[in-house]
Parts: sequence; C-alpha cells; structure tokens
Amino acid sequence: MSSTDHSREPCPLVILNDLGGAFVMGGLGGVIWHGVKGFRNSPSGERLAGAKLSIKTRAPVSGGNFGMWGGLFSGFDCAVKGVRKREDIWNGIIAGFFTGGTLAIRGGWRSIRNGAITCGILIGCIEGVGLLIQRANTQVPVAPPMPAEPLAA
Amino acid sequence: MSWLFGSSSTKATQQAQAEPNPQFQFQKPANTIDSIYDAANIDDSTDDVLDIQEDQLSSIEGSQSIIPSRDWRDDLCYGTGTVYGLSLIGGSTYGLIESFGKIPQGASFKLQLNTVLNNITKRGPFIGNHAGILAMNYNFINSGLDYYRNKHDDYNTLAAGALTGALFKSTKGLKPVLYASGLCTIGAGAWCGFKRMYLNNDDQSAKKLD
Repeated sequence: MSSTDHSREPCPLVILNDLGGAFVMGGLGGVIWHGVKGFRNSPSGERLAGAKLSIKTRAPVSGGNFGMWGGLFSGFDCAVKGVRKREDIWNGIIAGFFTGGTLAIRGGWRSIRNGAITCGILIGCIEGVGLLIQRANTQVPVAPPMPAEPLAA
Repeated sequence: MSWLFGSSSTKATQQAQAEPNPQFQFQKPANTIDSIYDAANIDDSTDDVLDIQEDQLSSIEGSQSIIPSRDWRDDLCYGTGTVYGLSLIGGSTYGLIESFGKIPQGASFKLQLNTVLNNITKRGPFIGNHAGILAMNYNFINSGLDYYRNKHDDYNTLAAGALTGALFKSTKGLKPVLYASGLCTIGAGAWCGFKRMYLNNDDQSAKKLD
C-alpha cells in the first residue's frame, strides 16, 4: 500500500465502499463462525436449530462490528491522506491509531490509549508484512539484451 | 475490493501472453501495434491488450446507477455501505431523540451524558446491523439475478426485494415471511422510483447542457 492504488475510488466514495466491504466480510464471516459455534454448543438433536439461532442473533452484530471498524479506518485514512498529502505506510498506522482510540472512546482515557496503541501496532505489523511481500515480489529490472543489428524502422 | 476477492480481469493479459505464432520469427519486423496483434493471434475487435479492464464500468444492460460501479463487488460494497451508514445514522438519531425523555431528573451531567450515549448505542447499531444485513442479501440476490438474466430492470429489483424479505424472516413462519417480503418489495419499488427520477433528472439536465 505504499503507492497509490489506481483500482480504488477517490477518497470520499471509498469510505462507503470500505464500510460495505467490511460489513459484508464481517457478516459472511459471522455466519460461518457463529454457525459452527452454535452448532457445537447445542445439545444433539437441536444442533441445526442452535446454529440457526446463533447465526440470526450474532451474524448482524459481527457484520456491524467489522463494518464500523472498516468505515472508521477508511475515514481516518482519507483524513490523514488529506492532511499529510502523501501515501506511505504511516497513513495506515496513524489511521489505525485513531480508529482504535475512537472504538474505545466509552472506556475512559486509559482504555482509549491502550486501544489506540494496540490498533496502531497491529496495522503497523500488517503494513510491514505487506511491504516485505511487495519487496520480495518486485523483480529488479534487467536491461533487455541488445539485438545484433538495429531493427529496421 | 479486488484485494479480497481477487481480480477478474486477467483475460486480456493472458491472451497476450498466449503462445506466440512461430511464424512471427520469419516475418519482416514491423513495430506497429497491428503486427503485434496479428502475431499473437489476438482479434483486435474483441480484446484490447492495452485495455485496463479494472476501470471499465459495468456493461450489463440497464445496470448503470447513481454511483458508477464496475462490477457486482462494487454494487455490493456501495449498496451495503450506503444502507448501513445511513441507517446507522438514522438509528442513532432516533435513539438520541428517544433518550431525551429518559434522562432522570436532577441527575449529574455524567449520568445524563451516559443515558443519552447508552440509548444511542442501543438503537443505532441494532437498526444499522439489520438494515445492513438486508442490504447485503438484497445486493447478492440482485447481482445474481442480473448475472442470470444478463440485464437489469425494475422486475429484478422487485424480485430481489421480495426474496430478501422472505429470507430475512424465513425462520418465523409463513405470515411474517409474507409481511417482510411485501415490505421489502415496497422498499425496492421506492428505490426503483427514486433511481428513475434521479437518472431522468440527470438526463434532462444533460440535455439542457447540450
């Protein structure tokens, strides 16, 4: 993510896109996660009903939590980009810092600080790994072998 | 979202890398684009090597909407995001208004603030989550119908709304299913009307500009 990704929308619109994408991810993940959880935690004979109930009550919440996180992160990312006017991994780290702080805002200063630092470090790790993968995948450009005779134009 | 679902646009580049015609070695070298196309057996009329398909807008007939979208993933993300965000804001506003009647008399400022915030966070996410799930299902079904019929019109939208409502209440019995289905169909119809009005206005203003 260290360079501009041209396959994505410009800034105000990308917040909606990320909000929806994160919600869908959380919702579908929640269906699987809570389906399995409800299935396993029910007595035999009511396993399917338990899975259904668990999905129905928990999957929207999981989608909402993911969506909230993704939307806040994208919004802060856009704001940071607008202020700093550059694209590097620090955008994500700063946005993650603010996101973690915002999500913990009801818990008092201590929890805001802890949440912000944890989230910033987490995003830093993800961005760092992404950078390493990108660097490993980048091939050093090699000059093509010169033809023996110049091509006829 | 291409980082999540992978990219679907490798067709053009794959064709370009397909085995080159060995006869090319013996042809006289020419550096025009056309000769490269001929050498790689690419039909110029259908595929374009330099075509960046990521940026192409959706080509399904009648699928053009208010926000430009490239494929069903964009539709899904934008639709869900918009509905979730708007209903979250709406639900929070409802919770805020509702909380004014619940503030205990003579309480400290901190207690009043917490009463209001608790009420907002009770209503907002509840309404937002359920509306988001509805929008997600609606968009999945709508895109599936688009893909199946290869065109988009009002019947698609209405059918997707009906199916979404039915799916949402599918565990509650026949009567709630019918109610929810009807309500969602009405909602989808309202969305159709709104879109038509908006797009028509757009056309008219474009005509005026011309």
